[in-house]
Amino acid sequence: MSIKRSLSTLTLSGFTLSALLILSFINILLQNVATNIERAGDGLLKLNSSEGVANVVTTVVVYFRGFDTLGEIAVLFIASLGVGLMLERNTECTIKVQSNFMLQSASKLLFPIIIIFGLYVMIYGHLSPGGGFQGGVLVASAVLLLLISNKDLEVPHAVISALETLAGVSYVLIGLMGLLLSDVFLFNFLSPNIADFGLLLSGGIIPIVYIIVGIKVGSEMGFIVQNLLKRSDDV
Amino acid sequence: MIGLIILGTFITVIIIAFSAVIEKRVSHSIILFMGVGLGSVVLFFVFKAPDVALTEAVIGSGISSLIFLMALKHLGEKA
Amino acid sequence: MFEFFNSPEVINIIVIIGSMLLFFVGLFGLLTQKHIIKIFMSIAIMETAVYLFFIGSLFKLDAIAPIMKVADDTSKFNDPIPHAMILTAIVIAMAVFALGVSFAIEYYKLSGKTNIDTMNEMRH
Repeated sequence: MSIKRSLSTLTLSGFTLSALLILSFINILLQNVATNIERAGDGLLKLNSSEGVANVVTTVVVYFRGFDTLGEIAVLFIASLGVGLMLERNTECTIKVQSNFMLQSASKLLFPIIIIFGLYVMIYGHLSPGGGFQGGVLVASAVLLLLISNKDLEVPHAVISALETLAGVSYVLIGLMGLLLSDVFLFNFLSPNIADFGLLLSGGIIPIVYIIVGIKVGSEMGFIVQNLLKRSDDV
Repeated sequence: MIGLIILGTFITVIIIAFSAVIEKRVSHSIILFMGVGLGSVVLFFVFKAPDVALTEAVIGSGISSLIFLMALKHLGEKA
Repeated sequence: MFEFFNSPEVINIIVIIGSMLLFFVGLFGLLTQKHIIKIFMSIAIMETAVYLFFIGSLFKLDAIAPIMKVADDTSKFNDPIPHAMILTAIVIAMAVFALGVSFAIEYYKLSGKTNIDTMNEMRH
C-alpha cells in the first residue's frame, strides 16, 4: 500500500471518528441538560425590591458589587494612564485629519443628539437598560466625532483631569459615608422608599453612584481617544 | 421560532467572523469585526439581556473598532 | 417541524456548539495572521464567543429580562448576575485593547515593524 493511499485512509477514518465523537457529545449533552438549577440571582431579585430600583443589573453592579465596580474603574484609570504614558511624547504622528464639508456640517447636527442620548442612558440607568459605562462611552464617542471634524479643537487636559478626580473622590467619599453611618462600605444611606418605585428620584445613592461612574468613564475614554488621535502639528 | 432565530444568527456571526479573519486588507476586516459585534448584539437581545446588548453595541462593537481603526492609521496596512 | 428548535435542550446545544465554533474561528485567526491589529481582533472575537456562551447557557425561555415593573414583582426573571459580570468584562476588555494598541504604536515608532514574525529583538 502506498503512502498516499494510507494517508487518505487515515484522513477518512479520522473524519469518521471525529464525527462519531461529536455525535456522542451531542447525545450526552441532550441527556444531561439541567432544567432546574438553583440560581444565585433569585435571592438578589428578592433583595432588589427593598432598594427601589427597577433595573436589577444596575443594583447588582452598583450596590451588591459596588466595591468591584470601584476596582473596575481603577483598572480603566490605569489603562488610560498607560495610554497617556505611551503616547504623550508623540511627535512623529502621521495622522492629519482632513475633514470635508459633509463631516463638518453633519457633526454639528449629530453632536447634540449623541450627547443627549448619552446623558439619557447615563441618568436613566436605574430604570431602563443602560448606565454609567454605556453613557460615558457614548459621550466620549460624541467628543471623538467633534475631534475628527474640527482639526484645531482639543479638549483641555485640565478639564479631563478635574472631572476624573472629582468623580473618583466622590465615589470613595460616598462609600466612606456609608461606612460612617452604618458599618457597610457603600451603604444606601438615603433610605429608598418603595412608593417611589419606577420614578427618576428613587433608589437612594444608586443612580448618583452610576452617574459618577459615567463621568469617570467618559473622561477616561475621552482622554484615550484624544491621545490615539493626536496630530503632529499640535504637539 | 426563537430557536431558528438563534441558529441563523449564530451561523451568520460565524461566517462574518471567518471572513473577518481571512480578509487580507486590515481595514476591511475591522469593519467585518464590527459586524460580528452587531450580530452578537442580536443574540444578547434574544437571550433577554438588554443591558449586555447595549454595552456590546456601544463598547464592544463601537469604540473598540474605532480604537483599532485609529491604531491602524498609525501602523499602516502592510504586515 | 420548527417546534424541534424551540425546546430548551436544543437551544442549549446550539449555543454551546456555536460559541465553540466562534471561539475556534478566533483561535484560527490568532494562530495564522501576521498583522498585530488582526491578532488583537482575533482575541476580541474569542472574547465575544465567551460572552455568548456565558449569557446563552444561563437563560430561560419562559423568563423575561430582569427589569421590574412594580415593587415585589413576582414574574419570572432571568438571572441578573451573569449580565453584571459580562458587563464588567466587556468594559475591561476595551480598556485592555486600548492599552495593547498603544503599546503596538510605541513599538512601531521604535522599530517600524507590525509583523509579529519579525518581532525578534529579545531573541539574542
